Amino acid sequence: MTKLEAKNIVKYFKHDSHRLKALGGVNLQIEDGEFVCLVGPSGCGKSTFLRIVAGLETPDEGEIFFDGKPVTSTGPERIIVFQEGALFPWLKVQDNVEFGLKMAGIPKEERAQISKRYLDMMQLTKFADSYTYQLSTGMKQRVAIARALVMDPDVLLMDEPFAALDAQTRDLLLVEMQLIWEKTKKTILFVTHNVTEATVLGTKVAVFSNRPSTIKKVINIDYKRPRLVEDQNLFPLQQEILSELRPEVKKN
Amino acid sequence: MKKPSLVKQIIFYIAIVVIWQLVAMSSIWPNNLFPSPYEVAEDLVYTASDGSLFFGIGTSLLRLLIGLTIAIVGGMLLGILMARIETVNQTIGSLVLGLQSIPSVAWVPLAILWFGLTDGGIIFVTAVSSMFAITISTYTGVKTINPHYIEAARNMGAKGTQLATYVLIPAAFPHLISGFKQGWAFAWRGVIGAELLFSFLGLGFLLNVGRQLNDISQVFAIMLVIMMIGIVIDGIIFKRIENKVMSRWGLR
Repeated sequence: MTKLEAKNIVKYFKHDSHRLKALGGVNLQIEDGEFVCLVGPSGCGKSTFLRIVAGLETPDEGEIFFDGKPVTSTGPERIIVFQEGALFPWLKVQDNVEFGLKMAGIPKEERAQISKRYLDMMQLTKFADSYTYQLSTGMKQRVAIARALVMDPDVLLMDEPFAALDAQTRDLLLVEMQLIWEKTKKTILFVTHNVTEATVLGTKVAVFSNRPSTIKKVINIDYKRPRLVEDQNLFPLQQEILSELRPEVKKN
Repeated sequence: MKKPSLVKQIIFYIAIVVIWQLVAMSSIWPNNLFPSPYEVAEDLVYTASDGSLFFGIGTSLLRLLIGLTIAIVGGMLLGILMARIETVNQTIGSLVLGLQSIPSVAWVPLAILWFGLTDGGIIFVTAVSSMFAITISTYTGVKTINPHYIEAARNMGAKGTQLATYVLIPAAFPHLISGFKQGWAFAWRGVIGAELLFSFLGLGFLLNVGRQLNDISQVFAIMLVIMMIGIVIDGIIFKRIENKVMSRWGLR
């Protein structure tokens, strides 16, 4: 069943007086439960595309369909995880995780029950009463993921969530992310500039071209999990993606 | 406060009192224009013992509290609306800048005509003289919120007053605190100024009585009290809140 469909998405960036065509007609179809990684040269608009799917920006042309219905605004069935987490520094970890539930008017006890499950899943139980400034970058991203999962969204939209992490923390989270995906069966859209990350995570990798970007190629990855970063068998796939990407980066 | 700076301050104030006493004893100026610290202290004890000092302080602080509360509520509301709705900013925003430039005592004639010589008039002056400083800092505070906070909150279903209460105000709080601090300083000037001119109870009234009776020690004494209240509120109350907020928000 098709969960998300992007039809001919066009988006201009406004730079002072002139307009720059960032997305030049992106078409993408995502089935329920797929883990789709979006890779592309920097500045190609892949993050903008994700924001359009989240309903935080509107496309200049084209439409996003969620369960067959056009997306007109942001909504908790499509939750975004930002690169820096965008956690609220005035709230404790647990209150951060429960934020969306509170907005939905769910009573305190019920919120605590739900959040406990995800705090456990992300190994954050010890930090429930901490403030975010007391956490490492990796921990913050765990909180951000827990805060998103608590909303029980149909689609998880992740905007380079591991880009600011050190290699060890990232490798650990790459494995955990696969387990979360298998456990929760969410549809995930994951923006990254890291090809290895894309091949480790994705059931599909969509390669963006340079501006005005379209999706140049979609590569399916059918390989056992959990996949590890150092797995040599993923190497040919990474080379294939890189050979698609390299000419695009040069055009920049 | 660090120990060495406290020691320096104590030495400094003792030196001031000693020099003051010496100048008073030297009779450069006649005693009815320049009282000695002893006479001022005597006057303080006298006004304290008959209760008029505490009644004056209480009256002024109550007016300050009511006026400042009105200013904080009104100022924050106006500031948030200006920051979130461009039309409000373009219209009322320009008026706020103009109103902010009116000195607090310039509101007094209007207040007397509208409210008569009442508490209401003084509270009005207090509120208007501090409200617009709070409006402007709220506006700046909300405008400089990390946009990802607002996007994440909207994405998780927060909107309208929910967004304002749970995200905009706490996120802007470091700015709001400095606005409240500025607002309090304006309000304090407003209360004392208005009381002087209304001549209707409070510290400003006591100051005016001192002038009318040619009682220079009372004038000195009341001015000292006004200054001391300023030091306590600014240096102790606001400083504490500020330190707490700054460390919580990870700004220090």
